[in-house]
Amino acid sequence: MTGTAAKPPVLQLDGIVSGYDGLDVLKGISLTVNAGEFVTVVGPNGHGKSTLLKTISGLVPLRGGQISIDGQRLSGRPHETAMLGVAHVPQGDMLFAQMSVLENLLMGAYLAPDKAEIKRRLDEVYTLLPKLADRRGQIASSLSGGERRMVGIGRGLMMGGRILLIDEPSLGLAPLIIDQVYGVISELSKAGRTILLVEENPARVEDLADRLHLLDDGAIVWSGKPAELMARDELLATYLGG
Amino acid sequence: MVDVLMAILVAGFTSGALYALATVGLSLVWGSMGMLNMAHAAMLTLGGYVAFTVITSLGLPIAIGFAGAILAGAVAGAILYFAIVRNLLKNDKSTFEANVMIATVGIGIALENAILLTYGGQPLKQPVSIAGTFRLGPLTLPWQNLLIIAVVVVMMVVVSLALGRTRMGRAIRATAQNRDAAQLMGVAVNRVYLQVLMLSGALAGICGVMVSSMTQLSPPLGNDPMLKAFIMCVVAGLGNLPGAVAAALGLALFESFVQYALGARWGFPSLLFVVIAVLIWRPSGLFGRAEIRRM
Repeated sequence: MTGTAAKPPVLQLDGIVSGYDGLDVLKGISLTVNAGEFVTVVGPNGHGKSTLLKTISGLVPLRGGQISIDGQRLSGRPHETAMLGVAHVPQGDMLFAQMSVLENLLMGAYLAPDKAEIKRRLDEVYTLLPKLADRRGQIASSLSGGERRMVGIGRGLMMGGRILLIDEPSLGLAPLIIDQVYGVISELSKAGRTILLVEENPARVEDLADRLHLLDDGAIVWSGKPAELMARDELLATYLGG
Repeated sequence: MVDVLMAILVAGFTSGALYALATVGLSLVWGSMGMLNMAHAAMLTLGGYVAFTVITSLGLPIAIGFAGAILAGAVAGAILYFAIVRNLLKNDKSTFEANVMIATVGIGIALENAILLTYGGQPLKQPVSIAGTFRLGPLTLPWQNLLIIAVVVVMMVVVSLALGRTRMGRAIRATAQNRDAAQLMGVAVNRVYLQVLMLSGALAGICGVMVSSMTQLSPPLGNDPMLKAFIMCVVAGLGNLPGAVAAALGLALFESFVQYALGARWGFPSLLFVVIAVLIWRPSGLFGRAEIRRM
């Protein structure tokens, strides 16, 4: 965790509304993520956590409100959002299944300015995630669930973005693998990365996140420190089933 | 007997090379966009006629004729994107596949009729041909067959390098495998679609020159290769490029053997029989994935 009160905002959401077909899933969400900060949004399944990240990265169209990165309003087009430094590690990995681990990582650096920068980012990823270096030639579809999650995170890091959006990194993984994945995320946070993570289980981020927002039915119903939420049994029982 | 066998092999490889060129263009568009381009046949015909015009009417060298065919195909692909595909993509994505297929049927008919009005219905001789033969062991082979195989091999190598080694190629493959993830990496998928249609059109253009050099130029020139290319795409598994090349060569050899053994009229029915059998046995094609990602 890092103290970031005086740091400038990287991501700002101002009353955003979005959804699918005729249904609004997000109903006026506002939040800020400052530079170097680790912010988490927790909430039950189906209440808009993934939609929130998809709306920021442009995969789900924005119907109302506005999103800005470093003060610059986003166009809503995903590739332009990526250009502004939003690195989205989506739920379910969304790897390029027929490409090797290395090719997946190189796709993360698609917008990198030159080969030297790509090599620098690749070295950084291999240092943090050494197993990916061993697996670099392996086709992504043949990896285990934990390895795929690591490739997803590595690919997000290769984007070299201003902010990392991580969608439920523990989903579908064995407890031991979840610990490893969160170990990597903790390292990233300690290194000063700006992170917005969504998660169903607040206990996973209790010791990691600087701030936490509780999302219910597409609206933020509570905000504060993770430890404060964990001490509020009535909130946990009402919104997260205890 | 060996002479006959070798002659069948040469004929099969020549047809297979042409089919592969047509199939790869079709498969590339399907694989990356989920779009069945029914105007591919007309784009192929266009390439043949543009080469004819450049060489015969303008009197320019054959190499310029080839370049003209490639350029015409690429421009036709770009027009298809800007006039049709881009607009259909703005609508409901779930109806894109059906709408774009119907729209390209119309474009194909219009282009074929435009060629008919411009050049007439009489068959014309494509000047891109090399007369004469050469000896290969006991065989006497036409230079024209060698030219076709050589051109197709060069084009396959170019496409393979473009897709495998370039940034554009990686973006095309990424978009084909996971469109949303490609966008998250910063790939402008609409630009990728434009590039794919131009590349496919360029391949159709050069294929048209090669096909017409073996037969003659006529407005429906592209229909037969397109139909067979579609069969080969289905047999290989729609969207699978290496599989498409393998299926094109394998089925062309099979067709040549059937034509020799049973007569020329049995060639096409035998291909239809193969496609039906493959679809019953493996609905996703010989090399296809069980699920093909669509837009």
